[in-house]
Amino acid sequence: MPDIEVHGLTKTFGRVMAVRDLSFTAPAGKVTGLLGPNGSGKTTTLRIALGLVRPTAGEALIGGVRYGRLTRPRRVVGAMLESTGFHPGRRARDHLRVRAAADGIPPRRVDEVLGLAGLGAAARRPVRQFSLGMRQRLGLAAAMLGDPQVLILDEPANGLDPAGIAWLRGTLRDLAREGRTIVVASHVLGEVTRTVDHVVIVSAGELRFAGPLSDIGETHAALESAFLNLTAAPN
Amino acid sequence: MQSMIRSEFRKLTTVRAPWLLLAAGPLLVVAGITGLAESGGNVHDPGTQRAAFAHTGLAAVFTLVFGILAVAGEYRHSTITDTYLSSPRRGRVVGAKLTVYALAGAVAGLASSGAALATTAAWWAARGGHLHLSAADAWLTLGGGVAANCALAAIGVGLGALIRNPAAAIATALAWFALIEGIAGQLLGPALARWLPFYATEALSRSSLSATARLLPQWGGALMLLAYTAAFAAAAVFTTLRRDVT
Ligand SMILES: Nc1ncnc2c1ncn2[C@@H]1O[C@H](COP(=O)(O)OP(=O)(O)O)[C@@H](O)[C@H]1O
Ligand SMILES: [Mg+2]
Repeated sequence: MPDIEVHGLTKTFGRVMAVRDLSFTAPAGKVTGLLGPNGSGKTTTLRIALGLVRPTAGEALIGGVRYGRLTRPRRVVGAMLESTGFHPGRRARDHLRVRAAADGIPPRRVDEVLGLAGLGAAARRPVRQFSLGMRQRLGLAAAMLGDPQVLILDEPANGLDPAGIAWLRGTLRDLAREGRTIVVASHVLGEVTRTVDHVVIVSAGELRFAGPLSDIGETHAALESAFLNLTAAPN
Repeated sequence: MQSMIRSEFRKLTTVRAPWLLLAAGPLLVVAGITGLAESGGNVHDPGTQRAAFAHTGLAAVFTLVFGILAVAGEYRHSTITDTYLSSPRRGRVVGAKLTVYALAGAVAGLASSGAALATTAAWWAARGGHLHLSAADAWLTLGGGVAANCALAAIGVGLGALIRNPAAAIATALAWFALIEGIAGQLLGPALARWLPFYATEALSRSSLSATARLLPQWGGALMLLAYTAAFAAAAVFTTLRRDVT
């Protein structure tokens, strides 16, 4: 299974330096948490890895190649981004059927992932009627559609109810156990200690820590104090 | 590419808005020809029949808007992220959309030409005239109208990809249609004006709205529209579509 490698990544938007010479590896078989305060460059990093944003310098590779060079990208990489859009008038199931057609995925997989995400009953409702949590579940179902070896999720727990969060945690653990590579960006530490094995902490676009969670401490309190120390503004 | 085309078709068949837009074409044609007959058009004059059939080309306003929403609509709903994740080669996305929307535009044009034929036949029968369908002129007008519906859908795809904001793209297209091209045409003079996109559309659909302009021959209009489609789509692929999707 492919690792994700980020090498010397830099991205500027006008005068804002969103990501600054960032390097880390997210190893296969592990859930890697990309942690950092709001605006620390997590989303930008993930969007670069997915070929949506062009880096100013450096690169992000998936199994050694850029996303844009993958022949069947969605069979390799599943992604859910913060602002993944849905056409409000399209039914949830149709949203996935559109995707399945684009990615050459058999139609029965659509109902399978709807079931996995707990959306079986809502499958034929237009997304307009969905709550934030339901949209999030649909986004996760879409990310898993291609049965990918790599999952890239941006703030996946946003809006999920406790059952949804427990399901997400279990699913990510299971997928990692199968050897897949999972990266989860989050600014919420609550869930992290129970889900991730590996952490990458960024602040103001710069790397502050990368390594196994156990190097920081397994408890929420230990992670929180480490996080606050590592991401505090210098001086 | 094939899977992208299939996916684009499925996008169209799973929402309602595009169909309402395309259905507006035949309605416009029925209303327009009815207006022509009611306002005392002479049903015994072959010129009136041609003017009636030429309404098919006017329906292309709707296929233009339909085409604009192909890419711009995806930016509006942020579904473009998903589309580019499935097909990181953005030029191919535009290619698939051009194919599907041109085809849908042609089908809408066929519906409009059918509506034109049926409405004209009904009014002419009611007024004691009869249709002249043996003349090539009748079929060139109807066929040109269908081609115009197809071509403007494709131009719309390119324009919407270039501008990406649906409201801005539609406003630009309609302002150009209603206002700017007329002024530009006067500034350029008739010899140059006929190369402009909507004069070319008039040439293709044989709807002489602006009787003063010296239009291109019908095939010339078709070629010009093809050239505009290629120019807009290429400009989009090499400029705005390369930008970061954030
Ligand atoms: N399209 C953009 N244009 C300008 N600035 C941007 C854009 N996208 C992100 N930024 C800026 O880059 C920085 C990092 O943002 P982001 O990657 O979204 O952070 P995070 O996901 O960690 O909250 C922020 O300062 C943000 O304002
Ligand atoms: Mg973010």
